[in-house]
Amino acid sequence: MASAFAFGEALVLGLASGPACVASCGPVLVPSLLAERAGLRLHSRYLSAFLATRLLGYLAFAAVAWELGALVSLPSRLRLEIFAVVHLALAGVLLRYAYSVGQACTHSCARSELVTIGGAGNHRVPGAAVLGFLTGVSLCPPFVAAGVRAAEAPSVAAAMLFFAVFFLGTSVWFVPFAGLGWVRRNEAVTTVARMAMVLIALYYLGAGLMTLIGRNVYGY
Amino acid sequence: MFTPAFGHANRAQRLASILTIAFMVVLFFMMMRTWSTYRWRRWFFVALGLLFPVGFIHQVMVMRGSMGIPIEEMIAGRTPFCFIPIPLLILPAALTKTVVFPGSILPHGGMSGGGMASMAAIWLAITIVVGKGWCSYACFFGGIEEGMASVPSKAKVRKIDLRWRYGPWAVLLAMVLLSLALFEPAYCMWLCPFKAVSEYIAARNTVGMIQNGIFILLFAALVIALPLLTKKRTQCAFFCPFGAFQSIFNKTSVFDVKIDTTRCTPCVLCQKSCPTMALTDESIARGETLMSCMKCGACVDACPKDAAVWHIRGTEVTARPERARLMFLYAAWAMAIMFGGSIIAEGLATILHVFV
Repeated sequence: MASAFAFGEALVLGLASGPACVASCGPVLVPSLLAERAGLRLHSRYLSAFLATRLLGYLAFAAVAWELGALVSLPSRLRLEIFAVVHLALAGVLLRYAYSVGQACTHSCARSELVTIGGAGNHRVPGAAVLGFLTGVSLCPPFVAAGVRAAEAPSVAAAMLFFAVFFLGTSVWFVPFAGLGWVRRNEAVTTVARMAMVLIALYYLGAGLMTLIGRNVYGY
Repeated sequence: MFTPAFGHANRAQRLASILTIAFMVVLFFMMMRTWSTYRWRRWFFVALGLLFPVGFIHQVMVMRGSMGIPIEEMIAGRTPFCFIPIPLLILPAALTKTVVFPGSILPHGGMSGGGMASMAAIWLAITIVVGKGWCSYACFFGGIEEGMASVPSKAKVRKIDLRWRYGPWAVLLAMVLLSLALFEPAYCMWLCPFKAVSEYIAARNTVGMIQNGIFILLFAALVIALPLLTKKRTQCAFFCPFGAFQSIFNKTSVFDVKIDTTRCTPCVLCQKSCPTMALTDESIARGETLMSCMKCGACVDACPKDAAVWHIRGTEVTARPERARLMFLYAAWAMAIMFGGSIIAEGLATILHVFV
């Protein structure tokens, strides 16, 4: 499993399922990127924070997947519950993010900082980092496929390495999103992004709650 | 004029056809005679909005016995296609060559007798010529709220935060992204207010009940209550994702509405009359409408100085606006007759079946 072939497989799996990952993360990534101020550098920082914490989520998940043997052995109910909790957390963060964008200083003289959420002062964290982590642990189909393979790894380190390589493959597909930094920002773009975030948050909230109370939602 | 569901035309259908033709001809005649566009177009549009559900529900009831579509019917691809999910289908189709709508590509696949291909072709033909004029001359949903908006003599709510105009773009962005993520037309599944008066998801479980509850609430708020309070087409102006998508094609259409700044006083009567808030102080100063203009003609009719004018791109604003109006109306009305006329006739025939 720990052979070069296995990591080649992880890379190919990541590259092949990248579009599915982008589609899955799109509702979180695109509006939050558009809600940030313009600038390629700022958007690169956003993506760096997003992808770094997404990797963290992947590695945490890899460790858990390996520890539990295989994801497939997880009862489907439990898997759905994890999914629901992640959705509820995403909804909360997106709502907070949309609020924080409204509070952020948008004057042209203001420093180019990522929108932060959380408490005051040092306790504030970039919203991108939180969203990255949550999308990293959400159980999208390609992720589950990688989880099944990682569970077969001989050691937890090999499982985490497998996920790290898989992450690299998927991340290639996220790089073009930095291009949204070139989109000119005005009140319209920011407002549309914030409103979209609220709508998507409401969807996640509904989907999460309904899954928790045992009702299937279309699409899952 | 009638779909095959009716078979050979009967007396009610023949009468409905005659009445529809007379109605459309009289309205066009009055538009030409009075030089007023909005007033007469509104009659057509409200009739279209009110009669579409009548004909459609009748057809659905005859074919299926219920307005609710069960999931098996959806899986079998028998969902009637509507134009609103068109923008939601583009990304999944481009990335996976899959149409994420549970309907047939071919005609006769859906309950309406018109598959996605025919609906998309009609949409494209109309859009190329009239741009967002679709929303005032072809959309079979907007008429109900336009009718509601015309009921009160004065608006009870006059101060509306202009940022609500971005609502359709936000719904479009959210729904396009969710449709790609979920691989389903998210707007149809969760947010379409017109499910309340067309075809809803068969409520067999809690989720179905919640979905239908959302449809009814949105319909009651956006199509009934808010137009009555604001005298605006609130669903179109603040919510409809297709409207936002259609706004893009206002940039490619040859027809638009301009403000002749040399004549403008500015009294802002045009701004007040616009049902979708497509005119602002800044846009009037620039001599143009916003890209969300639906070319309904309300501002042109409201302007006492004839400063709001129909216009053909590439020409001077002052260059024969009456000719631009005629050219636009010939195109728009021809399409209104072809597309909306058949829907009006079908709805009318459904009602006339009861009496004749």
